[in-house]
Amino acid sequence: LWFSTALVVALAVAALTSAAEEPRAAADGKLDAAALTALIDREIERRWQADGAAAAPRADDAEFLRRVTLDIVGKIPSVTEVRAFLDDRSPEKRRRLVEELLDRGAFATHFANTWRDIILPGANTNLETRALAPPFDAWLRIRFSVDTPYDRLVTELLTPAAMNEADPNPFVRRASVPSPLAFYQVNERKPENLAANAARIFLGTQVQCAQCHDHPFTHWKRNEFWAFAAFFGGAALPADAANEAGGEKAVEAPAAVAGLSIKVPESDMVVEAKFLDGTPSAWKPGDDARLELARWITRRDNPYFARATVNRIWEHFFGRGLVDPADDLDARNPPSHPQLFAELARQFVEHGYDFKYLIRAITASRAYQLTSRTDSNASSNGDSADDPQLFARMSLRRMTPEQLYDSLVEATGFRDNTPRQQAAVFGVETARAAFQAKFADQSARRGEAQTSILQALALMNGSLVGDATSLDRSERLAGVAAMDDFLDARQRIEALFLATLNRSPELAEAELFGAHLEQAGPEGERAALADVFWALLNSAEFIMNH
Amino acid sequence: MLHRPQLSRRDFVRLSSAGVIAGSMSGWFETLAARAETAKDRSRACILLWMSGGPSQLDTFDLKPGHPNGGTFQEIETCVPGLKISQHLPGLATQADKLAIVRSMTTKEGDHSRGTYLMRNGNLPQGPIRWPTLGSLVSKELGNPAAEIPNFVSIAPYRFFAPAAFSAGFLGSEYDPLLVGDGAAAGGEDDNDQYALKVADLAAPSGVTRPKVDQRLGLLGSLNDRFIGGHSTANAIAHRIAYERAVKLMHSDSGSAFNIDDEPSAVRDAYGRNRFGQGCLLARRLVERGVPFVEVTLSGVDGNNALGWDTHIDNFESVRKLSGALDAAWSTLMIELAERGLLETTTIVWMGEFGRTPKINPSGGRDHFPQAWSTVLAGGGIRGGQAIGHTSADGEEVEDRPVPVADFLATIGCALGIDREAQNISNIGRPLKVIDPEATPIAEALA
Repeated sequence: LWFSTALVVALAVAALTSAAEEPRAAADGKLDAAALTALIDREIERRWQADGAAAAPRADDAEFLRRVTLDIVGKIPSVTEVRAFLDDRSPEKRRRLVEELLDRGAFATHFANTWRDIILPGANTNLETRALAPPFDAWLRIRFSVDTPYDRLVTELLTPAAMNEADPNPFVRRASVPSPLAFYQVNERKPENLAANAARIFLGTQVQCAQCHDHPFTHWKRNEFWAFAAFFGGAALPADAANEAGGEKAVEAPAAVAGLSIKVPESDMVVEAKFLDGTPSAWKPGDDARLELARWITRRDNPYFARATVNRIWEHFFGRGLVDPADDLDARNPPSHPQLFAELARQFVEHGYDFKYLIRAITASRAYQLTSRTDSNASSNGDSADDPQLFARMSLRRMTPEQLYDSLVEATGFRDNTPRQQAAVFGVETARAAFQAKFADQSARRGEAQTSILQALALMNGSLVGDATSLDRSERLAGVAAMDDFLDARQRIEALFLATLNRSPELAEAELFGAHLEQAGPEGERAALADVFWALLNSAEFIMNH
Repeated sequence: MLHRPQLSRRDFVRLSSAGVIAGSMSGWFETLAARAETAKDRSRACILLWMSGGPSQLDTFDLKPGHPNGGTFQEIETCVPGLKISQHLPGLATQADKLAIVRSMTTKEGDHSRGTYLMRNGNLPQGPIRWPTLGSLVSKELGNPAAEIPNFVSIAPYRFFAPAAFSAGFLGSEYDPLLVGDGAAAGGEDDNDQYALKVADLAAPSGVTRPKVDQRLGLLGSLNDRFIGGHSTANAIAHRIAYERAVKLMHSDSGSAFNIDDEPSAVRDAYGRNRFGQGCLLARRLVERGVPFVEVTLSGVDGNNALGWDTHIDNFESVRKLSGALDAAWSTLMIELAERGLLETTTIVWMGEFGRTPKINPSGGRDHFPQAWSTVLAGGGIRGGQAIGHTSADGEEVEDRPVPVADFLATIGCALGIDREAQNISNIGRPLKVIDPEATPIAEALA
C-alpha cells in the first residue's frame, strides 16, 4: 500500500478504516443515491439500537420544506412555494423538491458562500479578505453551477493560472474576473500558512501546531510540517509586495532553497518536500510543485481527502460532522459512525466527487427528515436520545449571516439599492455587507452561532426590519394589507406566517394574533399587522434553521 | 412534561456563563448559573486605552533627549523622582506613582491589521483558531452573566483594518463587545450627536412608541415561548436571552449609564470635549456600574478618526495634539476612579499595535517599529511609580528585560486576578487557557 511507508500515518489510517468492513451490498462498487440513502438509514438506525435511543418523529412537510430550502439554496421558501408544496399530494414530492432546488442558480450561490467561509474564513469580518473575496466567490459560483467535480475544483484552486503574474492591487481587482487566487492571497503566499490551511481545509488535518514544535496532541513532527510546506515554496513573493506601504515585516518568510526543499526557520535544517504520509514526490525541475501536491491530495486512495469532504457536507446538512470538529480527522477523534463514514467517502470517489449525488442521498435519509422538536420523541430516553452524535433528532442551527439576510429579503421584499460596484470600495458598504459583518460569528461550527445583544437590537430597531414593518415603506405589508377584499383578518395573519415561518399559525396563535388585530379596530388594523410581522421576524423560530 | 434541554458539554459551559436564569428553565440549570456566578470576583475591572495606529514611545513615555532620534519634545519630572515622561503629559506626571511604564516591549509584527490582532488577541491571525480579543476573555472571567449592562463595552472603536481584533472569536458572539460610537470611520465628529457615543439601534424606530414596543414584545414572547417550549436547545434559549438583555438595555435605568449629558459640565470639560475624553468619562460611569471591561479607542483628534497615531508625516505636531487629549482624559479618569475608591480595583492598560521608529524620516514622521516600544499599566493590581526595562540611547534596541506580547497580556490577567488555570473550549475543540501557560507575567509590575 502506498501509505505504508509512514508507520504513524498507517496507524492513523487504520483507526479510520479498520472498523469499516464494507457493507456487503456495496462490495461490488457503486451505489445509486437511493441505495446510499438506504445504507445511511441502516447505519444510523444500527447506532440508535445499540445506544437504546428513540428517534424523533418525521418532520412534517412545512418543517422539511423550510429546512431543505435553507440548506440547499440558502434562504427560506416563498409563500407561493410553501403553498404549492403543502398542497402537493405526491408521495415523491420531497425527492422532487430536492431535484428542483439543486437545479436553481441559488444552489451554486449558497454552496459558494458555504465553501468560501471554509476556505477564506473571515470574509465577512476581515477587510482584506472581504476585498479579495468577490473574484473568489464568482469563481466558486461558476464551479458549483457547472457541477465541477470537487477533485478538479481543488486542483484548480491549488494551481491558479494567474499564479505567476504580478500581484494586482487587491482593492482594484474586480469581481468580473473570477479567480481562486484569493486562497494564496489571504495566506500571504507563505508556504507555512498555505500548507497548514490546505491540510486543514482539504484533508481535515490539523498540522499547523507542528510549524513551531512537534505537535502536542498528534504525531505530526515539525520536519514533516515543513516538508509538506515545501510544495508551496515557490509561491512566496518578495516580502514587500504583499505588505502595506510603510509596514516593515520583522519576520522574514522562510526562503525556498534550491530544488523542492525548504529551510526550517530558526534552524539550519533544510528538508525535502514530502507528502504528509511521508512519501517523497516525483517532482523534477520544470514540474509545477503545486500540481504535484494537488494530484496527491485528490488521489483516489488519499485516505483523507474524500473523508474530509464528505464530513463537511454531512456537517452542512446536520450541523455536525460524523467527525467533530469537522477539520480534525485524527485517530484520537474517531467518527461517530465509522462504517458509514468510510462508505460515504468511497461512494463519493466512485461517483466522481459529485456533491449533488451526496446531497440527494443525505436529504432523502430518515435522519435528515427527522423533526427538530425536543418535545416529541417517542420516548424521552434522557441523555442518549439527546446525544447529538446519534443524529436521532435534527439539530437546531442559527442561520448563517447570508441565510438570514437572504431570508429577510425573501420575507420582506427588501431591495438593496447600493450599487454593487461600490461594495469593495473603502467606506461604502452594501446593506448586505454591513448586515453580514454585524451577524458574523466566529464560534466553532456553522449554525452554533448565538445571537448577541447588538444583533438583537439591530433586528428589533434597525432599518431592515424597521422598513419592512413600516406602514409607509413595507411592500410586503402593503401587499398583505391591500388584499382586504379577498382576505379576512385570519388569512392576512396566515399570509405573514407563511412568509416568515413558512407554516400556518396554530390555533392558539391564530387566536392571539387575531385578537390583536381585532383590538386595533379597522383604522388600526394595518399598524397591528405591522406588529405581527415584527414579532414574526424577530422570533427565535425565524432566525433558526430547524 | 418539560424535557431536559438538548445540550452538549460545550453548550452547557457556554450557557451557564451566559446567565441562563430564565424562569422556565428547570432547577438544575439555575443552580449551575448561581454557582458560576459566586465563583467570580466581580470587584475587578479593566479599562483598556487603545491607541490605534501605533503611538510613538519616543514622544510619550520613553524620550531620548539629546539624541538625534529624540525629536523636539522635552522630558519633564514626575511625582516619582527619576521617572520622566513627555512634557505634553503633565497631568499624568502628577500621578506617575500609579504608572508602571513598560519601556521594553518587543514584538515582531509591523503591519496594522496583524499587529492589532496580535496585541489584542494575543496571537497572529493565522491557522484555524479564532482567538478572542482581550476584552472578551477578561469579561467572560470577571463578568456577571446576568448583568443589565453587557460585560464588555468598546467605546469609539476603529475596527476597519482588523474587525476580528474586536471579536469574541471562538467564545461566540455573546461575548462580543457592545460597541458604542462604532462606524464613525474616516469621517469627522458629529458635534450634534454628543460625539456619537451611542449604542446602535438602542431606540425603537421613530413612530414606534413605548406601549407599542411592549405590545410587540408581548407577541414576540408568546411566539418564543411556544417555539422554545418545543425546542429547548442552547442556541434557541440564547436567542431569547440576547433579546431579554437587549430589551433591558433599552428600557431599564441601566441604559442611563450611557447618558453622559447627566454629568456636570466641569467634569465633562476636565475629560476633554472630544470623543476620547468623553469616552473615558463613559468608561468611568460603566465601571461604577460594575462593567468589568471597557475599552476606549484614541484614533484621532480634530475630526480625524482613523489611525491617528500612525504618524508617518509630521509626527511631532500630531503627537502633541493626541497627547493633549490623552493626558486630560486619562489623568481625570484616574483621579475620578480614585475618588470613588475604584482605582485600586480597576487596572488601566495603555497600548497600541506597535511603536514607532526612533529615526525620524524625511517627512518629519516616524514609521512602524515593533522591536522596542512602550506600553503602560496603572491602577488595580499594579505597582506604580516605575519604569520596567529600558532601551538603548538611540531607542533602537531593548537593552534590558524584553517583554513579549504573551508576558504583557499575562501580566494584565494576573493584575486582574484571573485564575491561571481558567480555560475555554476553542473552535477546534481543544481547551485553551485564558492566560498563556507559557507566558511569564512581569513580576515587578504586580502589586
